[in-house]
Amino acid sequence: MINKSTLLTLSQQGVFFKTSLPTFLIVKMNLIQQNKKPIWQTPWQYSESIFIVLGIYLVGVALQLFLGTFKFSNIVWPVNIIVGLTSLVFVVLLSLKRKSHFFYWLSAAPLSISLIALLIMQTIIMGLTPQISGQLTERPDVFDILGFTRMTSSWPFVLTMFFTIIALCAAIVNRLKTPIWKDYAFYLNHVGLLVFLFAAGYGAADMKRYVMYVEVGNEIPEWRVYNDKKDVLDLPLAIKLNDFVLEEYAPKLAIIHRETGKAIPYEAPVYFQIDSLKLRTSIGDWDIEVHEFIAEAMRESDKSYRKVPMPGACPAANVTVINKKNKQKYTGWVSCGNFAQLYMPLTLTNDYSLVMTRPEAKRFASYVDVITASGQQESAVIEVNKPFTVESWNIYQYGYDTDTGKASSYSSFELVYDPWINLVYAGIFIFSIGCFCMFWIGNNKRRKGKND
Amino acid sequence: MINWNNFLVFAIPTILSWVLASVIFTFSKKNKLGLFFSIFGLFIFGSFIVLLWVNLGRPPMRTMGETRLLYSFFLVATGLLSYLKWRYKWLVSYSLVMAMVFVFINILKPEIHSKNLMPALQSIWFVPHVTAYILSYSILGAATIVGVKQLFQFNKKEDAELMDFTDNLVYIGFGLLMLGMLMGAVWAKAAWGHYWSWDPKETWAFITAAAYLFYIHLRLSNKYRKIALWYLVFAFIMLMITWKGVNYLPSAKNSIHVYTD
Repeated sequence: MINKSTLLTLSQQGVFFKTSLPTFLIVKMNLIQQNKKPIWQTPWQYSESIFIVLGIYLVGVALQLFLGTFKFSNIVWPVNIIVGLTSLVFVVLLSLKRKSHFFYWLSAAPLSISLIALLIMQTIIMGLTPQISGQLTERPDVFDILGFTRMTSSWPFVLTMFFTIIALCAAIVNRLKTPIWKDYAFYLNHVGLLVFLFAAGYGAADMKRYVMYVEVGNEIPEWRVYNDKKDVLDLPLAIKLNDFVLEEYAPKLAIIHRETGKAIPYEAPVYFQIDSLKLRTSIGDWDIEVHEFIAEAMRESDKSYRKVPMPGACPAANVTVINKKNKQKYTGWVSCGNFAQLYMPLTLTNDYSLVMTRPEAKRFASYVDVITASGQQESAVIEVNKPFTVESWNIYQYGYDTDTGKASSYSSFELVYDPWINLVYAGIFIFSIGCFCMFWIGNNKRRKGKND
Repeated sequence: MINWNNFLVFAIPTILSWVLASVIFTFSKKNKLGLFFSIFGLFIFGSFIVLLWVNLGRPPMRTMGETRLLYSFFLVATGLLSYLKWRYKWLVSYSLVMAMVFVFINILKPEIHSKNLMPALQSIWFVPHVTAYILSYSILGAATIVGVKQLFQFNKKEDAELMDFTDNLVYIGFGLLMLGMLMGAVWAKAAWGHYWSWDPKETWAFITAAAYLFYIHLRLSNKYRKIALWYLVFAFIMLMITWKGVNYLPSAKNSIHVYTD
């Protein structure tokens, strides 16, 4: 490797500032080769690591070209656990061999750095290329063929992850041979990351995600679901939807141009949130005052509304609008309407109207009974951020009929089966303690210069 | 009963103490006095949050305005915690200024008090996730500045202490970055059904994390200082893409992280 005197020479020559980055690297590589051991002579360092990692990538590309995208369905349980554990046992066995240069290389920084660099390159491509899920298109282009549009299931990416897990394991095993418990942050971070990557990577094959649509009040529980290819499947799990509730935020008021429908001021449209604390506002040349707001209203006569809490009711407000310039005053009801009632604007001039926007959802929840194949029945309330868990299945609130809103006749659920999830959480937990230690301890200066 | 109408009564003393604290931290050496005023402001501000919480009968995190209250509180709290440990005065001043920005937004744009938060954002993870990221970005930004300074003086005189300082900032910033990411993962599992979906923002967050991981491992030996410092600049560019750039990428059209604020 490049030593301090070469680096100093390099700096004194100001090589970097006078030349471009590639030239700098070439100069550097030459210096490395002049000063140091020939490549492939042990102990392996950066040159060997870079070559081997590039080799891994090329093997991945070759597999991608010949076999197409990596199929996670080929490594479902128990194949994933066998492959995963075997590779880790192999690392442990290697570590038992005395003075193994190969094991030392596997556990040392040059290989990890090279693997991280390869991961960064691939994820940058991924970050710049729109990703597609599902099957290949009819006429795949170069990006499709190289797996760039399905990066996480492309062979090079999967192989990189495979070797990253192995290198990570080797680093931990190496440090466990002569443990330095003062470096507990090292163990927490690396073990946490290993557990997380192992469970998330190998576990990806066993994960299943489906969407189920359930009708409100239907006495027959639903058990049919759709997968991402829209195939209908039967599940060993059924859901009965007793009730669906939707709470909405109060709607907003806006003044729009009657022809274009654009809200004023055009450059920064103002939407006034109806709020019990703030009943007056002004938009452009108009002062607005809300006299009465009814969340669930039905149109009574021509232009007025009354509180009627029933399906099909919609928000309405009694409002006065005054033009600041000519003091002209307009009073009347506005409503955003819904699937059952027409909307009601308050016409101001030939050009402008005051209108109410459709309310946004604040909370939506489904009151369900979940029935499993074993005959177990449980009642639950499922809402966003509050999933329900039963036998390795997580049931999430997914959606509803947004056209009918509160009166939606169905609620949809996402059902996720992930038997590896507890291991993932364990990894996240250990890793986050390690990360907190990093935040708290910072960089440990003692280690500098010892590892290489 | 305390509600948003009483906000100014609490916000003005808070801002006064925090301005005073930032001035003291920046221009004088009376650090204990600065610390006193920061904590005093935090106490007043915290009282408003607690009283509002009691009045609402629920945690104040359902609207944009309520969320901003918590940002301010935790920014200063974490800034102070970091100060007690690391004694970086600029970090306290930065967190105080950022916290005040959020307080000012709450004063100047009252309508956001009732600005709706979509159901997926109503989670206990929202505030810690964002706070960890805001602080982590500022610390990693500081690391980049120190690193560039070091690069410019590289050929004249190398400063080993400055190099250690850079490394230390990266470690602290990276710790927070990962904490923010892991909290996001746990939240995503509850909200979207999966802890990691390779959403464009997530992909770039991965790139950012991997880039700093590269720096940290490269710095395990003291050999490639200059490459490491250039790399730090690269890592920060990745961070900026994650933070701001993702919204403009064609690959991120359907990102679930692109919100309109």
